[in-house]
Amino acid sequence: MAVNLSPHTLKKQFLCRCGALKMILADNEQQLKEKLVTKEEWMKSDTKGSYLFGQLPKFEDGDLVLYQSNAILRHIGRKHGAYGKNDCEASLIDMMNDAVEDLRMKYIKLIYQEYETGKEAYCKDLPNHLKPFESILSKSKSGFLVGDQISFADYNLFDLLLNNKVLCSTFLDSFPTLKSYVDKIAARPKIKALLECENFKKLPINGNGKQ
Amino acid sequence: MRAICNKEGFYLSRCGALKMMLADNDQQLKENMVSIEEWMKGDMKGSCLFGQLPKFEDGDLVLYQSNAMLRHLGRKHGAYGKNDCEASLIDMMNDAVEDLRLKYIKLIYQEYETGKEAYCKDLPNHLKPFESVLSKSKSGFLVGDQISFADYNLFDLLLNHKVLCSASLDSFPTLKSYVDKIAARPKIKALLECENFKKLPINGNGKQ
Repeated sequence: MAVNLSPHTLKKQFLCRCGALKMILADNEQQLKEKLVTKEEWMKSDTKGSYLFGQLPKFEDGDLVLYQSNAILRHIGRKHGAYGKNDCEASLIDMMNDAVEDLRMKYIKLIYQEYETGKEAYCKDLPNHLKPFESILSKSKSGFLVGDQISFADYNLFDLLLNNKVLCSTFLDSFPTLKSYVDKIAARPKIKALLECENFKKLPINGNGKQ
Repeated sequence: MRAICNKEGFYLSRCGALKMMLADNDQQLKENMVSIEEWMKGDMKGSCLFGQLPKFEDGDLVLYQSNAMLRHLGRKHGAYGKNDCEASLIDMMNDAVEDLRLKYIKLIYQEYETGKEAYCKDLPNHLKPFESVLSKSKSGFLVGDQISFADYNLFDLLLNHKVLCSASLDSFPTLKSYVDKIAARPKIKALLECENFKKLPINGNGKQ
């Protein structure tokens, strides 16, 4: 598999839309070849124009070419048994992932548009958006969002919670279930290895360097 | 029997594609409306998992998030591709439709008076990829040889845009005939001509 990542600074890559992807691949011992597009190349109009929706990341798995980070997550979820064990669970996982995406969009908006003026209010409001996840996980027997196995929605939520820990450091203090959820996933051997790997640790989370 | 709960007097914006897909598959939908007064009291909002409507019920399954509902119906009614590869491509298309829907929603609810002209001028840039994909499609659908939930979603969004920016499809012959083709499907046609459907406002603030 290969993923092309877009820099916003020269030859740097950022995690924001690829963190969950890398974690689910690592956890399933899948190789990922990363190709960087330089800023100069990206700014050339024919480069951007060659990507279907004019955006990165671009993901390749054999002949299949995918854009849209959540489509990529769903693809990997299907391939690696991380999309529930039946249609009902799949629908619930979809719902959870879409809710994670809603919060990710708020995070992205803050980081790229409102960081200086909006950070305090964002962190203050964050608990309201986490309550549903705390509630769902506290009722979960497996400790995962849906069913008895980890799903792509779990990797996505885990990644987003890590990003928010950097942004609003104490926010998990009032969410014991979310706190132990993060600890549990971070302790999975291949996730732990990824998180401790130098190449991963040195990646900026976001393209503008804010976090 | 499937049921959907939405705010009273409201609006298609996140349910149009759902209703079209159900109608096209001869599925009944029971609609429960919550009045604005009741919604503002907060009890109903508090009972919704993410504090939002619509809420969709299919037997014991309760779903929030409109795209999760579309995927659910797609699975049930053979509108999610014929294999995993097609499913992934359909996901990608639907997510791109959602990107455009979010821009549309932002305009309608936040920037209508000041932003409409620029939005309509920029719209072709967002429609080009879909024109390109459909012009290469043998079936005339976004992916594979059958209609998928992403088609219903795109179709619904294009109808909304026809109201907002009336000439939006003039420079996109493939999109234009795509809209005509889906609108001519007998059960979609019947839904679009149905009085109850026609009188629904597209958006909750009455702008369109």
